[in-house]
Amino acid sequence: MPDINLTIDGHKITVPAGTLIVEAAKTVGIEIPVFCYHHKLDPVGACRLCLVDFSPGPPRPQTACTTPVAEGMVVRTQSAMAVQARADILEFELVNHPLDCPVCDKGGECPLQDFTFRHGYPTSRIDGPRLHFKKPIPLSDNIALDRERCVLCYRCTRYYDEIAWEQELTVGQRGVQSFITSQFDRPLQSNFSGNIIDLCPVGALTSRVWRFESRPWDMSHTESVCSKCAVGCNTTMWQRRGQLVRITSRENDDIDEGWICDRGRFDYTDVNDPARLRTPTVRGAGRAQGAERQKSTWADALAATATGIKGKGAKLGVSLPADLTNEEAFLFRRLLDGPLRGAKVKMHGRTALAEPPADSMRIRDIDDARVIIIVASDTENDVPIVNLRVKKAVSKRGARLIVVHPDGVDLDRNPHTVHIRNAKGSAAAEVRKLAAHELLQNPGGPVAILYGDGHGSEDAVELAAACAELAGKAGGKLMPLYRATNERGALALGVAGWDALDGVEALLSWGPPPTAGIPASVRFLAAWDHLPRDGYDQAAVLLPATTFAERQGSYTNLEGTVQFLRPPVVINAPLKEAWEVLTELGAALGLELDYPGIFPIQREAAAKTPALAALAQAPSPEPEPGPVLVGPAHP
Amino acid sequence: MAEQRGTVGGPVLTEWFAKADLHTLDVYESLGGYSALRKVVTTMTAQQVIDEVKISGLRGRGGADFPTAMKWSFVPKDHPGPKYIVVNADESEPGSAKDRYLMENSPHALIEGAAIASFAIGGHQAWIYIRGEYDLPYEMLRDAIAEAHAKGYLGDHPFGADHALDVRLYRGHGAYICGEETALLESLEGKRAQPRSRPPFPAVKGAWGLPTAVNNVETLSTVPWIIRHGGAEYASRGTEKAKGTRMVTVSGDVKKPGNYEIEIGVTYRDIIEGLAGGMLPGRKLKVFWPGGSSAKVLPASMLDTSTDLDGLKALGTMGGSGGIIVMDDSHCVVKAAARLLRFYAFESCGKCTPCRVGGNWAVRTYDRIMANEGSQLELGILERVSDGLQNGRCLCGLGDAAGWVIESTMRHFHDEYEDHCLRHTCNVGRALAHA
Amino acid sequence: MTALSAHLIDEIKALPARYPQPRSAVMPALDLAQEELGYLTPEAMTEVATALQLDAGYVEGVATFYTLFHLEPIGKHRFYMCTNLSCTLRGAEELVEHLRGAIGVHEAGDVSKDGLFSYEEVECMGACEYAPMCRVDHRYHYDLTAEKIDGLVAERRAPASAPVQASAPHPSPAHKRDEDVTSGLLPDGERGASSPPKKRAPRKKKADG
Repeated sequence: MPDINLTIDGHKITVPAGTLIVEAAKTVGIEIPVFCYHHKLDPVGACRLCLVDFSPGPPRPQTACTTPVAEGMVVRTQSAMAVQARADILEFELVNHPLDCPVCDKGGECPLQDFTFRHGYPTSRIDGPRLHFKKPIPLSDNIALDRERCVLCYRCTRYYDEIAWEQELTVGQRGVQSFITSQFDRPLQSNFSGNIIDLCPVGALTSRVWRFESRPWDMSHTESVCSKCAVGCNTTMWQRRGQLVRITSRENDDIDEGWICDRGRFDYTDVNDPARLRTPTVRGAGRAQGAERQKSTWADALAATATGIKGKGAKLGVSLPADLTNEEAFLFRRLLDGPLRGAKVKMHGRTALAEPPADSMRIRDIDDARVIIIVASDTENDVPIVNLRVKKAVSKRGARLIVVHPDGVDLDRNPHTVHIRNAKGSAAAEVRKLAAHELLQNPGGPVAILYGDGHGSEDAVELAAACAELAGKAGGKLMPLYRATNERGALALGVAGWDALDGVEALLSWGPPPTAGIPASVRFLAAWDHLPRDGYDQAAVLLPATTFAERQGSYTNLEGTVQFLRPPVVINAPLKEAWEVLTELGAALGLELDYPGIFPIQREAAAKTPALAALAQAPSPEPEPGPVLVGPAHP
Repeated sequence: MAEQRGTVGGPVLTEWFAKADLHTLDVYESLGGYSALRKVVTTMTAQQVIDEVKISGLRGRGGADFPTAMKWSFVPKDHPGPKYIVVNADESEPGSAKDRYLMENSPHALIEGAAIASFAIGGHQAWIYIRGEYDLPYEMLRDAIAEAHAKGYLGDHPFGADHALDVRLYRGHGAYICGEETALLESLEGKRAQPRSRPPFPAVKGAWGLPTAVNNVETLSTVPWIIRHGGAEYASRGTEKAKGTRMVTVSGDVKKPGNYEIEIGVTYRDIIEGLAGGMLPGRKLKVFWPGGSSAKVLPASMLDTSTDLDGLKALGTMGGSGGIIVMDDSHCVVKAAARLLRFYAFESCGKCTPCRVGGNWAVRTYDRIMANEGSQLELGILERVSDGLQNGRCLCGLGDAAGWVIESTMRHFHDEYEDHCLRHTCNVGRALAHA
Repeated sequence: MTALSAHLIDEIKALPARYPQPRSAVMPALDLAQEELGYLTPEAMTEVATALQLDAGYVEGVATFYTLFHLEPIGKHRFYMCTNLSCTLRGAEELVEHLRGAIGVHEAGDVSKDGLFSYEEVECMGACEYAPMCRVDHRYHYDLTAEKIDGLVAERRAPASAPVQASAPHPSPAHKRDEDVTSGLLPDGERGASSPPKKRAPRKKKADG
């Protein structure tokens, strides 16, 4: 793309051709206020708030959000014409706005407030009465809609249609009576609904999970990573007084592009559960099963655990959570190579996929694919944000899509999706046939092959081989779609977690109990978990666990990027970090795991495991807050 | 059909309207109909058609007054795949009925014109988007298209030529905004009719994302005549800058409301006092809308204004869609403006802020004024809203038009506004019925 | 139990093929559904959506945008009374008031007790030279007066006995009716008649000034 030279408010700048004026202005710190414009959505020019004045151009203000820069253009955001036009629009926005800022969750982080402050008229000329709508309306268990606050920027419905390919959220009626509505008032079903809260520039769409919990300025926020699946979306976690009160998206264009799924956004209330386990409990020596456990010290609890699991060989089972960190996996590897040698290990939610092929794809590469093939994966639920990335490649960049899956999937929403419904277990055979598919004869660019394991219904080895063959023939790149959060990191560290736990006599359940239940053969159970659960009455030792909101460590996402968790919530004794519990358990088992902190663990893991080399670097500093953009004086 | 109220046997568009059963293909053809399409597909190139229309000086009669040949030439010639002519038959501008008059009298002229236009842009399909209330014109067009297909004038090889042509119908369902071309395209695509931000223009990305020229009914109905008689013949009518003839609808307080074909350049006095028979007995002209309710009003003193479009532009108004609404001294301008603002607010699609909110704010303000609750404050709000609706604030012209109604009635009839707002009286002596 | 008949669903499923892109079928499909049911229910719109492989919300958004789609029962005969400027200048407001009395409803949208009538005030319908005018049963009626309104109501109330006003045979293709569009409609009283010289609708004086 050639560069374009232009002037904005006297600043001479050079930006790539195709840049919109609103984006060009940001490069020199000039704020052009917007409601409808969002850099991930197609511009529509609906709210009219970004009016500026430029020449050559018509003698009227024009929308900066729909106008690309042009060579020699002179943009004036501060001319009397532009300043008045924007103030007019803001005045219109407030004509029917309820001005209930004191009780609005958006208050304090609300663009409507900020823009009115910086760009609006200093006095109000608005006469009553205002239009009223019924409110608040629950759009789902998670989202509330306040139609009176809505400025009808259509970000939410455009997001739904453009990004998520769904229309369950829509605009009803027209003109000043139009409003956002979920289809016939049925609750929203989408797994991607929560992003509309982040998109909403006013307090119209708010989280019901967090409604009236706290003011934005009472919270502190921490840049972290989602622990719900292997995509590794970047998040901002918000805490207030030791509680996790909100999770929002944090844009990382390499991974999530600013979207997170509803699991990642709303599935956090367990962190604040009053029933949280906070102290180790142990059943006294010689007591019968079923007797009450007593509170104990960590030393006693870990000693009891060590006694119960030591020297069991293959009679010991270890159940691991899907969101096991790299650091925990590293320590488990040491334990499994030492005192726990021979134990069977099972990880929650993992696929049967082996280590990734060399030169596997990055998530970002999906953007440029001309043909995308998705085999044996329910991407909507398994890797939700990759699912959105695929949608973007198809609808915004014209990629063609082939799905091989026995059942209907979310991606069928596009009528051009080629869906090959295979019999379960035959995905590899179907993939081999694809080499002759017409879309692959002259794809015109990169081919992306994304494959899962059909939740166990496919032979993962066979399928991976078939996909690799196809990649060879069609010039494609491969992306194994791991499911468990840190499956790829655990694989790199040699903690595959594929074993069956049937018949084990002792079980160390790290995280929630095995999905298949605690095997009947288990005689000794030690569990590390953050909530009490069914089956724990038989546990001899119950260790209180930290959650993703309190944990340090790192995850390797499905494309191999190592990302660091930063805990927003501080833990209080006796709760301990997972790595610390594992080093102490090692000591109790007679294995010296002498790490004074998490960094030495990370450095050693990095040195031993090439895939985790990134761990040697200290976590990147928290991102700087965005620059304060300069608005005009009041008109 | 009801009694024809308007020109029959006029110079161009209404040339054959006196003939019974003109809506049938037989009669239409017997008078020379379809000879233009025959000539175009069998002897002319697309460029020659565009050139001929360019010579004629024909400009869009939907209101925008854009040169038709230029619009066609913007459609990329080398674009592979379909290109469309979309006919704007969503006539909804208050005061305008001329497209209905043309379609009811001579549906084949529109079909022939649409087919010629398709040929000119290298397309094969024309879609007539007709407003849902026009049941009779819809049925007549449907039957006429069937007749043309049966005769082989439309189809794979019209008149034996190797250029397939088809004309199809799509019915609107009640939205004034569909008269705006990009909103019409959205509607044609099965969506809520909300105008698109331009660029891209329809010539590049129009119906179903493909290159499209959107033309008005009257514009296309003129095209066969131009092909038959030559562009120069058409250009010899009208004024130097605004060539040809056009239809106007005269309605309101005149003796003979109707659809009249005029040579562009005649004055509004010629139309209102001449063609439309003048005012009703004992009444005096107060104000008229020169081109649909969206054109800024002109007071009686400006009756000698020419229909020349550039002249109107110089006065800040427009010939628009040709709907001339005439109001006499027995009516209140403020009430009329209030009624029109209710229209614009009701028909606002809601996409852009100023139109969605501003129109409704104006309605509520007018409501107070008509309820004798007006004051200096209301006058101030109307001025503000009028400003806020105009000058690039809105995404499409609807908001501007609403602003023009307020602005132009306030400019020419400020005394009436002051009567209402400051003195709570109405100078026409009629009751202040709630608008 | 479905809201729409099976053959109608089949008809709707065949619609998308008629258009360059399938979404264009939404409005014609809603039209068919409305014709069958008289108005559009959420169930009917959901079935239309399913037949066209869309989310119901999409169809709801479209249906609520356009005024010719009705989301509530509308009576067998709906009077669409133009009250825009050209018609109002010639007495449309008074005629609406008269119509309310003639069909026995209090306000726009109400359905008369016998289920036969409802009305709404609509914006300009593009027949300004015949103001005041209205649309009933897919036909326009021109130069309205209180007496004409009474006639339109009477002939719909007792179609068998009421004489059809000005029932000259149609000279125009209006008689070539398409079953789709006009099935079950009453003959149109106005069209084909050569209208008498225009009369102004009587204007009522109102008290308050």
